[in-house]
Amino acid sequence: MPILTVENLQVQFTTPFGAVKALRGIDFELARGDILGLVGETGCGKSVTGRSVMRLLDENAQVTAGRVIFDDVDLLQLSEAEMRQIRGKRIAMVFQDPATALNPLFTIGQQIKDVLRAHSDLAKPARQQQAVELLASVGLPEPAQMVDVYPHQLSGGQQQRAMIALSLAGEPEVIIADEPTTALDVTIQAQILDLLRQLQRDRAISVILITHDLGIVAETCQRVVVLYAGRVVERASVAAVFADPQHPYTQGLLAALPRPGSRGSDLKVIPGSVPSGLESLAGCAFAPRCEFVMARCREHQPPLTIVGGEHQSACHLHEGAFND
Amino acid sequence: MTEPLLLARDLSMTFTRRSSLFGARARKIRALDGVSFEIAAGETLGVVGESGCGKSTLARCLLRLLRPTGGCVRFDGVDVLSLADDAMRRLRQRMQIVLQNPFSSLNPRLAGFDLVAEPLRTHRTMSRAQMREAVAALLAEVGLTSDFMSRHPHQLSGGQAQRIALARSLALNPSLLILDEPTSALDVSVQAQIINLLIRLQRQRGLTYLFITHDLGVIQHISDRIAVMYLGKIVEEAASEAIFADPKHPYTQALLSSTPSPDPASGSERIILPGAAPSAATPPPGCAFHPRCAHVMDHCRAEYPAPRAVGESHRVSCHLYENERA
Repeated sequence: MPILTVENLQVQFTTPFGAVKALRGIDFELARGDILGLVGETGCGKSVTGRSVMRLLDENAQVTAGRVIFDDVDLLQLSEAEMRQIRGKRIAMVFQDPATALNPLFTIGQQIKDVLRAHSDLAKPARQQQAVELLASVGLPEPAQMVDVYPHQLSGGQQQRAMIALSLAGEPEVIIADEPTTALDVTIQAQILDLLRQLQRDRAISVILITHDLGIVAETCQRVVVLYAGRVVERASVAAVFADPQHPYTQGLLAALPRPGSRGSDLKVIPGSVPSGLESLAGCAFAPRCEFVMARCREHQPPLTIVGGEHQSACHLHEGAFND
Repeated sequence: MTEPLLLARDLSMTFTRRSSLFGARARKIRALDGVSFEIAAGETLGVVGESGCGKSTLARCLLRLLRPTGGCVRFDGVDVLSLADDAMRRLRQRMQIVLQNPFSSLNPRLAGFDLVAEPLRTHRTMSRAQMREAVAALLAEVGLTSDFMSRHPHQLSGGQAQRIALARSLALNPSLLILDEPTSALDVSVQAQIINLLIRLQRQRGLTYLFITHDLGVIQHISDRIAVMYLGKIVEEAASEAIFADPKHPYTQALLSSTPSPDPASGSERIILPGAAPSAATPPPGCAFHPRCAHVMDHCRAEYPAPRAVGESHRVSCHLYENERA
């Protein structure tokens, strides 16, 4: 049974230009102990999905439909007080930029101890001890001294480790990591991804990893959900998606990546750019950029179709193979 | 041998930061430390390195947007650092820079026409009609219609804005483009469009590129040769294929191995470097990479390894290769 299930999640933002449909019906499951990649380009709705699960959406956003099932409960129906018992305790979030996500006015230790005070029964001395242990568990050097430093005294990689320690303070079952390495250098990124895999393995934490980087998905995740314009266009195991991508958007994304041996050749291009969410999209949102577009793509939204095993893709081409 | 289009010799840039209001103790930050390389006309040199390694400082020093504190830059035989200001302004027509974020490098108040026409107004004498024609041709060259003449930066997507920035940089028909992370702010599908465009423009115009990036996938795709920087120095330089097939410097090896590959089957064992790059204000003695290096030896801590040839036009600064002959 999945630890977290998102069903038909729809989110809309009120803007001066009109309603922007950020999510148009997202469905996925996070299996217990998995790292699930949520991947897509700017504006596809991956961060909004993460924030919807955490109930951390901005005030101008409304969830217009859908359910987020965690432990048999729809998180979207909980009161704010009930949600506080889950957020930071059972589901925690790691943000892209630790320099802005950590509070600059408090030491790392104080911020961790705040979480422990809210979400554990530990007494004060035990909280201090636990904070040191958490910092040690994420590989920060000299953790006993680290509890007393402020975020600005740490390097970017160390800040992200501190952020992860903070997310672990409530002993969560699920961590949602939103582009946790995008602000970091590649050698530091390798350290942080290694840490995430280690946490998944040693603490059996389930992770939703939000990223735009297909390389990170390939190396870190077990399953992947590809988003485009607020919808799931493809979902499957990482092995299946990379070996045999089914949706033209996923195929295009993979083909657009420069790879060893491609030097000087023309990279495959997806023409145009992602829709803004302001326009109403009849049919498939990818149709205007798709090289295989057919008449019905512009009229009917293709449903997620099983294309083999647990591999699903939302494209009329899959029906066409049998019906036309 | 013909003179390379661009040549840097022992280029150094030391910033002095005053640590107090009265400058009691000035701190020296060596952003560039003895950087030497050459780029032949029509060639692409990729410069790769992580934040703080000095790659953007290098770009600015080459164009004399910053005045290096030591060394020499020659562009087409001309000593760039000793030119008078007006001669330098004329020379800059031939060497242009494209920056990472077009939304901060393009003036938000100007429309596409003015953005592209501005260099022409500054350096050329032409009628309004001629200018319109020139701008339309430049826009067409970067794949934009003349409609974009009236659009302001905020009306553009990231890819479109970067195309405008490119058109602007091409307006004066330069020989050299310095591209400082030109695709890093773009999504993958748009990045591919811009990379294809850059390669096409290079072929059509015979341009020479210095391409700065932290993205190894992009750099191997576009570069003939690659220079790897670490803390203000070039630690390895070779043909693109050689860097990827046979990286010599332990830092280059770690950099390649840390880059996630979009191929789950690749399954290569990763080298995970400990720690982070040191600050250029307090570089470690000897080889600056030694605190993170798995192969560190005693003299790495004391002495910086001189660059040595380890293959055809492949040079590396590492004590491991001391006894090797090219």
